[in-house]
Amino acid sequence: MAMNFDLRSSEYVTNPVIRYIGYGVIAMILSVIHVVFLRFLEVSSVTPDLLLIFTVWIALVEGQFTGIIAGFLCGLLFDVVSTDVIGTNALAKTMAGFIAGYFHRPGFSKETIGSARFLMIVTVAGFVHNLIYNFFFLRPMQVSFLMFFVQYGVASTLYSTVAAIFPMLYVARKKE
Amino acid sequence: MRGFIEFVVRFKNFITLITLVVMSLSLMSIGNLSKLGGFRAVIVGSIGWIQSVFAWIPNPVALKAENTALRELNLQLAVEAARSRQAMLENSTLRSMLRLPSLTEHRLIAADVIGKTTTQQRNYATINKGLSDGIGEGMSVISDAGLVGIVIGASEHYSILQLLINRDTRVSAKVLRTRVDGIIQWEGENTLVLKNVPRTLDVQEGDRILTSNYSPRYPANIVIGTVRQSTDEPNTLFRRIVVEPAVNFSTLEQVFVVDAKAIQERSVLERAVDERLLNRTAP
Repeated sequence: MAMNFDLRSSEYVTNPVIRYIGYGVIAMILSVIHVVFLRFLEVSSVTPDLLLIFTVWIALVEGQFTGIIAGFLCGLLFDVVSTDVIGTNALAKTMAGFIAGYFHRPGFSKETIGSARFLMIVTVAGFVHNLIYNFFFLRPMQVSFLMFFVQYGVASTLYSTVAAIFPMLYVARKKE
Repeated sequence: MRGFIEFVVRFKNFITLITLVVMSLSLMSIGNLSKLGGFRAVIVGSIGWIQSVFAWIPNPVALKAENTALRELNLQLAVEAARSRQAMLENSTLRSMLRLPSLTEHRLIAADVIGKTTTQQRNYATINKGLSDGIGEGMSVISDAGLVGIVIGASEHYSILQLLINRDTRVSAKVLRTRVDGIIQWEGENTLVLKNVPRTLDVQEGDRILTSNYSPRYPANIVIGTVRQSTDEPNTLFRRIVVEPAVNFSTLEQVFVVDAKAIQERSVLERAVDERLLNRTAP
């Protein structure tokens, strides 16, 4: 069972407290990158959601319970950092973490992340995330939800999936 | 109690999810800047500062979009500037034309130049007024700058002008400063010459040339142009006086037709006397 190992023990710090602090630091860095630098990757006002990918990553590595909390905290952090309504991203990413958690296989997280399965999970979680986010985002606006979701929600999901290729390749390479 | 703990442990994921969803919805209901106090303002301010630090990094996509938007704006502004310049010029012309009627004793009929033609060195212009407006053949035409030409044909609503820059033009003229008389003729392009001025008479560069009182076709004292060159013609007793027309014929847009009844009456009288004299002398 050479492939059967856990990212928590083999690749990361074994102390869970330090590991979670590391997640927090990474989340903060990603949120700042998202707000400050992602404008360079903007395509028709659509950017990849780095914190969504990170939430999916945590849910796949740590499990559904941690994924839900990580999603909530990442979303809350992003709500604070951006000028969005507090709670919108928290709710959407909580749901994304919950869904991604269903794909958690203890001891096989590296296989999941290092394969196309990771992209599929990001797509599903991203779709639900953007569905919820756009629903609350568009609530006060006189805009067709379907039109807006197809234009921005689906595009954002696909862009996030494309961005998820990089961590997937990174883990796949490590795996080899 | 144990059963409750087992229930919580068993459904911890769902309980956590529901709790966090409720918390998120609660936050959304209070989630504006003022209710959260200055904390978020500090965070947003810090992010804004970081953004300003890295604002110098060019964003090619944004730059391209901005460039396109600026080009469109530039085009719009250029069109508006051209319109504005046109309006200013038109305004200036119309203002000076408004002053013109008070400077002449004749009735003036305002008209717009709607066409220009050049046939064998004969320059003509068409105006949008005709017989129904009181315009008749032989009437002289002026602008705010000076003499334009003469009406050589008129229909009900249109008239044809023979411009000053025409091979057939002959205008009796005088030098304003010294009252020297001569005949104005066109010499090609935008140049007129004052003919029949003896070498001994005083005509200098810069002198203004006006229509003479002797002219049976044009009202007197209308500006024709300015002397650009005054030299002695070789092998003759006359001076060669080059005159620059006061009117810019290439930009001519508005004109006045001079309804000078006195001139017409004078022409009729002079023609009648000529015929009578001719009849007397005839065998």
